[in-house]
Amino acid sequence: MDPTRIMLLAALMNGAGLWLLLPQTGSFPFRRPLNRTLGTLLGSAGLGLMASQLPGLGEWFSGSVFWGSVFWILAGVTVVAAAAAVVSRDPVYSALWFGLMLLGTAGLFLFSGAAFLAVATVTVYAGAILVTFLFVLMLAQPEGRAGYDRTSTEALLSAVTGSMIVALLSIVLGRVLGLPEAIAISSAATGGTGPTPDVARLGTVLFSRYLIAVEVAGVLLLTALVGAAAILARRNKCPCEDQTTANQMDSPTEGAA
Amino acid sequence: MNPVALVHDYLAVGALLFGIGLIGLISRRNLIVMFLSVEIMLQGVSLSLVAWSRFHGDEGGQVFILFIIAVAACEAAVALALILMLSCQAGNLDVAGWRRLREEGIEPPVDPGPETLPPPAPDWIPLTPVGRAPDVPPEETDYRPYV
Repeated sequence: MDPTRIMLLAALMNGAGLWLLLPQTGSFPFRRPLNRTLGTLLGSAGLGLMASQLPGLGEWFSGSVFWGSVFWILAGVTVVAAAAAVVSRDPVYSALWFGLMLLGTAGLFLFSGAAFLAVATVTVYAGAILVTFLFVLMLAQPEGRAGYDRTSTEALLSAVTGSMIVALLSIVLGRVLGLPEAIAISSAATGGTGPTPDVARLGTVLFSRYLIAVEVAGVLLLTALVGAAAILARRNKCPCEDQTTANQMDSPTEGAA
Repeated sequence: MNPVALVHDYLAVGALLFGIGLIGLISRRNLIVMFLSVEIMLQGVSLSLVAWSRFHGDEGGQVFILFIIAVAACEAAVALALILMLSCQAGNLDVAGWRRLREEGIEPPVDPGPETLPPPAPDWIPLTPVGRAPDVPPEETDYRPYV
């Protein structure tokens, strides 16, 4: 088979595996342990099939197979943790898998020479955003488990959409990067063999070429801070303490002033 | 070694993360899990940017990722405040309770309804069996091992 069909098949297998793993009402389409086993098998087979079509990275660091395998381990951890975060039935487990995915992406950043971004990802995402997630989760869902975490909306359609996007991207990717022009550019450009990106150069570029953007980002952060405070300080008292407005799913805005 | 290989692999991983996040965003019903899925999609895009940055030997891609992180922090602040207010009003984190927030003339998505959970397991201490096993009536089999 040509690589296009293999990529399409791999993306479809990934989508089918995620569809089987997504929480569904009752025992659909099979019994739940069977769903889980089949989904895991299909998903990992699809991932393996997709990885077999990608170029190896064994010789990236002076012919060392070790560094190539480091990349594949990091990529596998990232993708598997992302899939587990999406299909997990407990939102706390989702958040923890998301944290593992963040560590995987930080490792991938580090692997491609973006050391500062790896540190920033771990600090900002895993340190601040993830903890805020868990904090809101404890505030809003203190009982831990809920019926709406056990079902999905349009699981089949979403799986088809996601796998089609992955198939499209990876097929186009394989074709474009296999063109002779891309090979010529890569051999002529600084790619890979150029100067390794380091933190000092990143800081220099950030505060010279992108200085105005940095200022705009600062203003955006301040605006978001004020906005979040304004959203939460709209009323004098938290409606969570008001028992009359709780469990009003049909008319959620009745309690709003 | 062909430097295209690195870009190819990174872009494939980024595409996978983007697709997985998209599936989660569409299909999950918990507001916080939907938000996590958006963050997964952002991480997929960041991976592609860092690969291109390495490929061209240019810091522009890394600067973009720094801005993505800044915007994600803003997004987390505002979105989690909104989610907190929504959950305070609705009493839960189910996005299906907010289906009236759609455009006029568009049918709501099919809602299978939340699954009814089994009652929580009783918090009883299993005791060490001593003596002859009694004949348990069938209507007592569910709690007999605990008493």
